[in-house]
Amino acid sequence: MNASASKITALADTISTRTVELFKEQQQSIVKHADLIFARLMVCQWVFSIGLALWVSPRTWTGTQSQLHIHVWAAVLLGGAITSVPVLLGLMQPGKVLTRHAIAVGQMLMSALLIHLTGGRIETHFHVFGSLAILAFYRDWRVLISASAVVYVDHIFRGIFWPQSVYGVLTAPIWRSLEHAGWVIFEVAFLIISIRKSMSEMQLVAERQAGLESLKAGIEQTVAERTADLTQENLERRQAEEQLRKSQAQLAQAQQIARMGSWEWDLLDNKVTWSEETKRLYGRKPEDVGSPMETCLERVHPDDLVRVNKMMAEALRTRESFVCDHRVVLPDGQERVIQGRGEILVNNVGEPVKMFGIVQDITEAKRAAEALRRSEEQLRQSQKMEAVGRLAGGVAHDFNNLLTVIGGYCSLSLRQIEETHPLQKSMMEIQRASERAAALTSQLLAFSRKQVLQPRVLQLNEVVGGMEKMLRRLIGEDVEFSATFDPALGNVKADPGQLEQVIMNLAVNARDAMPRGGKLTISTTNVTIDQKTHFRNRTLDVGDYVLLALTDNGVGMSAEVQSHLFEPFFTTKGLGKGTGLGLATCYGIICQSGGDIRVYSEPSSGTTFKIYLPRTDAKLDSTANLEPKQLPAGTESILVVEDDAAVRRLAVIILRERGYRVQESNNAFEALALIRKNARFDLVVTDVIMPQMSGKDLYDQLKSQMPQTKVLLMSGYTDDALAHHGVLDEGLCFLEKPFSPARLARKVREVLDAPTPQPPRPNNNEAELVNV
Amino acid sequence: MLWLFAVGVGFIVILNYQNAGGRVGVMPQHWPKGTFARLDHNRDTLIMFAHPQCPCTRASLEELNRLLAQGHGKVAAHVIFFKPGKSPSGWTQTGLWRSAAAIPGVTVHEDLDGAQARLFGAETSGHVLLYDTHGKLLFQGGITGGRGHAGDNAGENTIISLLGGQDPHLKQTQVYGCSLLEKCEALPAMVAK
Repeated sequence: MNASASKITALADTISTRTVELFKEQQQSIVKHADLIFARLMVCQWVFSIGLALWVSPRTWTGTQSQLHIHVWAAVLLGGAITSVPVLLGLMQPGKVLTRHAIAVGQMLMSALLIHLTGGRIETHFHVFGSLAILAFYRDWRVLISASAVVYVDHIFRGIFWPQSVYGVLTAPIWRSLEHAGWVIFEVAFLIISIRKSMSEMQLVAERQAGLESLKAGIEQTVAERTADLTQENLERRQAEEQLRKSQAQLAQAQQIARMGSWEWDLLDNKVTWSEETKRLYGRKPEDVGSPMETCLERVHPDDLVRVNKMMAEALRTRESFVCDHRVVLPDGQERVIQGRGEILVNNVGEPVKMFGIVQDITEAKRAAEALRRSEEQLRQSQKMEAVGRLAGGVAHDFNNLLTVIGGYCSLSLRQIEETHPLQKSMMEIQRASERAAALTSQLLAFSRKQVLQPRVLQLNEVVGGMEKMLRRLIGEDVEFSATFDPALGNVKADPGQLEQVIMNLAVNARDAMPRGGKLTISTTNVTIDQKTHFRNRTLDVGDYVLLALTDNGVGMSAEVQSHLFEPFFTTKGLGKGTGLGLATCYGIICQSGGDIRVYSEPSSGTTFKIYLPRTDAKLDSTANLEPKQLPAGTESILVVEDDAAVRRLAVIILRERGYRVQESNNAFEALALIRKNARFDLVVTDVIMPQMSGKDLYDQLKSQMPQTKVLLMSGYTDDALAHHGVLDEGLCFLEKPFSPARLARKVREVLDAPTPQPPRPNNNEAELVNV
Repeated sequence: MLWLFAVGVGFIVILNYQNAGGRVGVMPQHWPKGTFARLDHNRDTLIMFAHPQCPCTRASLEELNRLLAQGHGKVAAHVIFFKPGKSPSGWTQTGLWRSAAAIPGVTVHEDLDGAQARLFGAETSGHVLLYDTHGKLLFQGGITGGRGHAGDNAGENTIISLLGGQDPHLKQTQVYGCSLLEKCEALPAMVAK
């Protein structure tokens, strides 16, 4: 309020001050204007007076002689004198007080001159009154006073010296001057009234003008402020538009990067508009914008169209947002997976008027999700296999030791008793049971990929060809067997025994899938996984492979069965007919060999197993491995290191029986002390898994300290210290548990007969092993 | 102030000129013989001598016109214009002549070489003489307040009084106008007074 009152007061002061200024300006303007008027008028009067003198009294006569009348000289000289000063002041100093008073006096004197030149005509006296009226132009009553004073002084002077020229009588009292001046005063009085009224009007005009100026200034200020505001608004609007353009560009770019577009469906007009990316995603043309929804859905895969329409109709009914994944077939035939999201916009009565949303190309995401799902499945499977493998490995270690003892003592006992001995059959059953148990243990280790593979370069055609007779017997006469070999088939590096196990397992499964007979086909061929096919074979690296396919036309499998096919202990066979380890073993062996196994099957349409093994350019290894019927023997000194006392005693018995000089030790430290103390042994037979120090560590110590000493490692399974992914490091001699007396004897002889190892050379791999 | 002084001096000069009376000769107290103007025995007779070119005389004629109008035919008026002997034809037929002739009751005459003027003793244009029916001079002088200055004046008022049967004290006034016979401007200032 105070601020407002102060503002009003300041405005009033401003108007008042401005009023005074305007009034003075106007007054000064009028005065200057009047000065100029009189300057011109007086010059004209002067010229007129000369003309008048020349016309009225040009010459004065004396009889017949004449001369220029004195009135002419008076008009020229006196009139010029009267006119000169006021005119000069009027022209050079207009607006000055002195100027207008000089003009007033001059004008009255000019009246006197003109009256004189016209012979005192009463009509000419009106020049006085007219001059007073014109002097009123100054709107300054003081000017009229000056003029009146001249008139009065003139009459006083004339009345004193030439009364007849003024009053028409030879003598006149002084007061008669007042009679003449009275009429002048009469006019002047009314002129002053008029001037005051005029000044009052000028004041009013000035006040109004000041008010108008103030209003105008206020308006101009308002206009300026509004203009500034508009300019600022324009600037902000341009900035906003620029920002909007940038945002739209960024949005379009973001949509392009995200392969995400937006769309809007005007339900009232059935017109669909969309963003640039939506147009690309649906393979539409720019001119399609504004098409009906039915046209827009033309690209939707026919199998998904009904579902999409249903979901949109449901959304319209429920007014709820929806998410709909569907396929789109682009004009080039490419198929993409699109995820559409939409929401409904309703009017004030709740009726849907617009549907809008986004669409996103989720093809890659879908593929990635599928790959992830498979990876997770594989991880889950791997974790399961790992868990089973840990269990199997732990069990196999002790179990193989037990089976070694059982089988070994059985074998020793059978050789010590007669064939007719009543215990012969019982002993034989124990031995077969131990062998089946050993096979089962081997399978456990195989699918858990903990078994020790001893791979070599081989030709798959030869492996399959070598098994053909056995396979025919295995599958029976009801099943037709055929084999198709690629003569240019490449070599692979794998454990032949394990491969045979895989083929045999698959053949048995095929036979079981064809209870009423059928056909089993085994084929081999070379395949190459390149970048193009890598997408479909993500578990395989790009490279050359050998493909082994086993195809039957049996009952086939459902997808559900296929998803669990390679899981251990999963079987579709009846109780007691399958262990559930066959395909798990196959899977473990193939994966451990760097390959992959896949199944293609449909119920009632047969099954095809495809085994991919990495192709190698290495040459074939020798396959000659004939076992002599007689157990080998020797006299060399052997140190048996085994923490399991039963296995250790069995090994000692077997070896001593074969003539060797055998000492024993139950751990690696003791073995090392014994070796250092009692001179050298020709062979150290050691278990791998032992407390405190493993057989591998003992091997490494001996290789560094006594390289001439040969070492034979024994184990029911392997670990990463001994082998990488179950494959033995090169140069290691290994005997798999459980072993029979014959296998032990042959292996010991084989190792002893092998060439003596050369002194150790610096080897990075070895150094790594020692460090481990 | 210098300006006012100069202008004041100028005004004094012309006022002095304006109020300077003309020369007056010896006037006969009775109607002179030898004049072509005829004395009216039924009413007073007024004679005005005028110079046909004198601008100052216009005021005298105007006053005469006014005077005669107020006299209501009580006076017979004659205006005698000076005419030089060698003057060209029409020299006297000026505006003054026509104005005088246009005044009702005025008889206009030419005064060749100023003979009549000399007869009546008039030397300045505008000189007026008033005789009664018996030829007695009642008044002589000018009927303007100043040279070429129209308006109320003592001479006119005196004649009107005489025509009205009164006997005014003033019998003679100054004559303001050009010289009929010699340079009137050469008159010394305030001679008439």
